[in-house]
Amino acid sequence: MSDHTLNRATRLSTAAAAGMLLWISRTLLALLVSYPVLLAIRGSGMTNGPDGDAVLFQPGSLLLLELLRVDAVGLTAAAQISLLLLGLSAIFELIPLALALDLLWLPKHPLRERLTRALGLFPRFLLLGAIALLVQAALMLAASLLGAAFKPVLSSADERLRSIAPLALLGLGLFACGWFGGVLDIARATLVRRDAPELGVRAAFAHALLCLRERPFRVLVGLYPSVAGSALGLLSAAWLLTRFVPVSASSVAIALSFGVHQLAMLFAIGWRVRWLGAALELSAESD
Amino acid sequence: MRRITQDLLLGAVFSALSAWFLRALLLNTGVTTAATAPPLEAAPNWPVSAESAVKVASYEIEAKFDSERHRLEGRETIHFVNRSSAVLNELWFHLYLNAFKNDKTLFLRSPFGAGRSGDKAKQYGYVDVKKLTVVDGDGQDLWLKRDRHSPDDPEDETDLRVPLEHPLEPGQTLDLALEFEDQLPELVERTGFVDSFHFMGQWFPKLARLEPNGSFAHFAFHPQSEFYADFGDYDVTLDVPSTFQVGATGSRVNESASQGRTRLRYQAANVHDFAWTAWDRFQARSERIAGVEVKLLYPPHQQQNADAELASVRFALPHFNARYGPYPYPTLTLVHPPEAASNAGGMEYPTLITTGGPWYSTFGGGHFIDVVTTHELGHQWFYGLLASNEHAEPFLDEGFNSYAEAEALESRFGSASVFGAFGHSVSSTALNRLFSAARGADEKVAQGAADFATFRSLGAIVYSRTATVLATVARVYGRERVNHALGVYTRKFRFQHPTTADFLAVMQSELDERAVTALKLSFSERATVDYLVREISNAPLSAAAGVFDGPSGREEKKPEAPRKAAEYASRVVVYRHGVLQFPVEVALGFEDGTKQLRHWDGSSSTFNVDNLGPSRLVSVNVDPEQRILLDDDRSNNWLSIQGDPAPHCREGALYAAQILLGALGP
Repeated sequence: MSDHTLNRATRLSTAAAAGMLLWISRTLLALLVSYPVLLAIRGSGMTNGPDGDAVLFQPGSLLLLELLRVDAVGLTAAAQISLLLLGLSAIFELIPLALALDLLWLPKHPLRERLTRALGLFPRFLLLGAIALLVQAALMLAASLLGAAFKPVLSSADERLRSIAPLALLGLGLFACGWFGGVLDIARATLVRRDAPELGVRAAFAHALLCLRERPFRVLVGLYPSVAGSALGLLSAAWLLTRFVPVSASSVAIALSFGVHQLAMLFAIGWRVRWLGAALELSAESD
Repeated sequence: MRRITQDLLLGAVFSALSAWFLRALLLNTGVTTAATAPPLEAAPNWPVSAESAVKVASYEIEAKFDSERHRLEGRETIHFVNRSSAVLNELWFHLYLNAFKNDKTLFLRSPFGAGRSGDKAKQYGYVDVKKLTVVDGDGQDLWLKRDRHSPDDPEDETDLRVPLEHPLEPGQTLDLALEFEDQLPELVERTGFVDSFHFMGQWFPKLARLEPNGSFAHFAFHPQSEFYADFGDYDVTLDVPSTFQVGATGSRVNESASQGRTRLRYQAANVHDFAWTAWDRFQARSERIAGVEVKLLYPPHQQQNADAELASVRFALPHFNARYGPYPYPTLTLVHPPEAASNAGGMEYPTLITTGGPWYSTFGGGHFIDVVTTHELGHQWFYGLLASNEHAEPFLDEGFNSYAEAEALESRFGSASVFGAFGHSVSSTALNRLFSAARGADEKVAQGAADFATFRSLGAIVYSRTATVLATVARVYGRERVNHALGVYTRKFRFQHPTTADFLAVMQSELDERAVTALKLSFSERATVDYLVREISNAPLSAAAGVFDGPSGREEKKPEAPRKAAEYASRVVVYRHGVLQFPVEVALGFEDGTKQLRHWDGSSSTFNVDNLGPSRLVSVNVDPEQRILLDDDRSNNWLSIQGDPAPHCREGALYAAQILLGALGP
């Protein structure tokens, strides 16, 4: 059974469920990741006043800079722990991702079975992720090396070109990384769709590349609304809050911040889920 | 195909909206109202200012510039007047270009990197004096009798003594003629060349400053030090290739060209140095601002930086005129060096300043261009007109100027004086306080530039600590009073060489005794202050229990059963560490929402804040308006026994982690 056989309402509710699943898992993991930094901030003493941490965001940043000064060591250590937790969480998040893809492909599967399948896919998802990370690192390295190679050529150019050219190359590298991320999603979708333990990472990648060869524009363009939508969600939330909700000790300001930020997060996740659905379709069309 | 079009359209709309929001965020400085400084032109009781300087050493220089070999050939006449009370038997010359002669000079031999720019010389530079004679004298070459090296330093030739043939009586004049040749170094410490860009600072043989007692304030060129010289008139003729644009101290009074070369004559009255620059790629703009002809030289493709620099002058020149007395010269030249010559940036000379920064400096909410332009312009007062000894008392120019810069920038941009975007701002005062608190007590403020352990230490203490001391005194005792006192100081000592004692004498007459004591201790004694609270105590009050012998005999009162107290005795103790004393406010918050503000004069080492009332004391905040910027540690200024202290950070950190997981995760 595929999403082609489902009506629009079922597809929407399935997508909503997948989105909620990704949002809940991401929020729980984010709580874990942010906890060390939060502890360091609270331990600094800078938030012990009657206005709590609202003072850190006063115009001029006098007390925010004081926090960085008095607790530089604690904050650095906490940030390192948070980074480690971030890496581990990113790996752990592969399980909810597999669940979400499974949910999008087979909405009526029992939960227990779905969980078993997701756990079974985890090693291959992990391997796919590792390969993607290596490829993306190689792409960025190539962009950086290309920038270095251009340096002597640009030595007689004006200083604007000299500083823009390496940035443009890095931008191109990031663009290529994003595109490769789309290919990775199709490979993941293939693994979920075929549900065969013998289907290896290599075969899934080969299928994704076939899909890319057959429909390059759909792969390239399909990811675009997801990336641009995420950016829009984040930027519009930042604009709304900085424009209309000044930081203060009031609980209303905090509730509003939380609400707007989470709406932005849900918006970004919504477009991600839409792309995951498209990745499943693209994978199926290349069978 | 329909799907592709749909995705493209959606992505394009999202991208366009994202770009709009990004632009709006970059423009949102988070400052709702910029502070404005009231004009001070009409302020009463300004002292009478000098119209011109007492001239001691005036220079006529002719120099021919070889742009290919980076050399200068010069002839110089010095008109020197012995304004001191002593008979002079010697002269002291500063040949600061010799600082770059080899790796053993005082300037270059430090293993910790040379000077403010941090660079060593890549190609060496030096000045050779060919001849020194007395005009209308017997033609003897006095240079032959000079000392061969700086005092007690056989490796350095930047500070040389020349004995005079005949003693020079007080009031007598002496005209000297010199011939010299410069080899410029590859740019180091604002002097030298990068490709065809040239900057000439400290390029000619120059007399050390003659103090009133007849001694010369002479010193070898130290990597951490700046300069000190007598006022005079400068008349300089430069012979340069016609393809080069030139910017220089003073006004261009004559220009003639022949055979591919141009002769430019500059005159500057009442100044104490002369610097110039030449480059064949400069773009030029000029504008009349506050009655001054402002000329800006900048690299190609830096129009936005040029706009920002002129905007800064448009604001800061009238602002400083009002605060510190009118700028007395007809011209001001701004030089923005190319990126490859960034070491030439951020420097002051009389009527000429250098700015700097890459072409994208105005993007992204930072005010780097405004900061550097305003700072260097401020030096026209704190260095140019108040020509203190930058070697012996660098805080008098750099420190006071950092305060003046912050005051001007915050008058213009409010709290976003350094950065303002995404709804957040960083102020100059906050940055000064950061560096001051980090290193401010390591060394004394009032000490010589060469006495500081490192240039970083000098930077934090001379620039940031001094500015923070003045800002604290201004916040505690009144900004307008302190600014007015500074205005009196700058007017009284205009065209002079004020010292720390001169400054404190003015403050003594303009400010409270306690403010002056704080200034003295802060500058001379490494004095610090830290206000702190450790705990909040609340005790419910109930009727006394026990055995009481009264007039009617013995009475036993039993303790009351526990109940909600009708009244609480609350106490918090505020401590003051360090020797500085500032009056301070203590804000108290009670459980029922009421607040109190208590005033402490700060003279004792502790302050018991007691309260009897119906509600428990739940929070205390010492110095809630953050007036005492010198407070060593603000994290111990408060306590609160209610609620989650970090809800914004909790929410913000959660959101940030979600974003990172979204970007890095699957």
